[in-house]
Amino acid sequence: MSAQEDDPRDLYELYALGILEEPERSRLETAIRSGDPEARKRLREAMRNNAAMLASTELVEPPQRLRNRVLSIAGVEHRAWGWRFFWVAATASLLLASVYLGTEWNHNANELAAARTQVQQLLKEAATTNAELAQARNVLRFLEAAETRVVSFGPDEPKPRGRVLLNPGRGVLLIASNLPPAPAGRIYEMWIIPKTPGAKPLPAGLFQTTASGNALHLQEGAVAPDSIVAVTLEPESGSSAPTTTPLFAAGA
Amino acid sequence: MNFLLSLIFAAIDARTEVGLVERLKRREGSAMSELYDRYGKLVYSVILRMVRETSVAEDLTQEAFLRVWNRVQFFDAEKGALGPWILAVARNRAIDHLRSATNRMSGKTTDIDAPIEHPEAFVNLERDIINSDHARVLKLAMGKLSDKQREVIELAYYEGLSQSEMAERMNQPLGSVKSWVRTALKILRSELEEVVSV
Repeated sequence: MSAQEDDPRDLYELYALGILEEPERSRLETAIRSGDPEARKRLREAMRNNAAMLASTELVEPPQRLRNRVLSIAGVEHRAWGWRFFWVAATASLLLASVYLGTEWNHNANELAAARTQVQQLLKEAATTNAELAQARNVLRFLEAAETRVVSFGPDEPKPRGRVLLNPGRGVLLIASNLPPAPAGRIYEMWIIPKTPGAKPLPAGLFQTTASGNALHLQEGAVAPDSIVAVTLEPESGSSAPTTTPLFAAGA
Repeated sequence: MNFLLSLIFAAIDARTEVGLVERLKRREGSAMSELYDRYGKLVYSVILRMVRETSVAEDLTQEAFLRVWNRVQFFDAEKGALGPWILAVARNRAIDHLRSATNRMSGKTTDIDAPIEHPEAFVNLERDIINSDHARVLKLAMGKLSDKQREVIELAYYEGLSQSEMAERMNQPLGSVKSWVRTALKILRSELEEVVSV
């Protein structure tokens, strides 16, 4: 290939593929290793193009045993029923919950159904590994619990919106949407405020939202049934008492 | 604080590659699961296409993920593009295998610090380059190539042949091979860059 015909982009793509021959190969490698910005930029572009090309390969389903082999690298124990177990369990749980909750609390049925839908959507977004699936099951169990009741907040406001599910024996589950991610150095903090006169807000955990503005936060433990639940924006280490005005509050 | 807090953070992490890389660096087994679920099928498919033998493809896929697991500490979580890196690592494993099996290119294997595989090479590279739209564009672009142009691209990408080796394999003059390679790369690059911000 004559110098006149060479397009540097071709050379870098061949180099990135590991098939460029001498003397061009050494010349490019020297430039790249020296930190030459132009050489590095061209290499990045070549890497990008090659990756896109490889990604157009027709997909073939690998055998299940390959997943187990790869995960063994990280010491991950194989659970044959991992994903399937979760979805079977989750589906069964939701069906049970919808039947039970539907008959027990007609007045809350729509709210709870909406809450379940929202939770299910969040879990679909969130639960991508077995460890997270175990956590997801705990949330579903909370929804199934007999004493769980729901209070909506902010339905008429553009944001944020959501629901608080309160179970006196288990805790409080907050589901929120339209809540932008907390700015750098800040985090959302939930508070449980007993209705007894003079009671101070009790810190009930820190949480962040997803990029799409959804949040799911569970504070476990006994809680007075008539408590008010509020959320404030706090320094990222959290606060022992609210330092800002509540973004929203919900309660019986 | 409680398990749901970790669920929330896991949710955020799971949605972003940055989080995934950080979890890999923390040696979280669940991160490896996610990495495999994201890229395992593609990595296996690329390697199988190259080595054409399922048992070898499985070995090399495992080797590729092991290499990523061992090298991820050098990967820039904020700016690195994980998918392209994994694909490069995977392809290099297959190329090394093909070369050692056929004694091509002096049986040279890809150096662990070679620029074409070093995590630094994947910094500031578009993370979303691996997507179905781009794949579709490139498949259509392959259809625009002549038979010879398509053949040299296949030999370059999936067999790792140098242009001299292509000329020998195809029993064609080196100059012709270089011309086909040059034209084919130009067409593919042009089609891809129409849909990718440069």
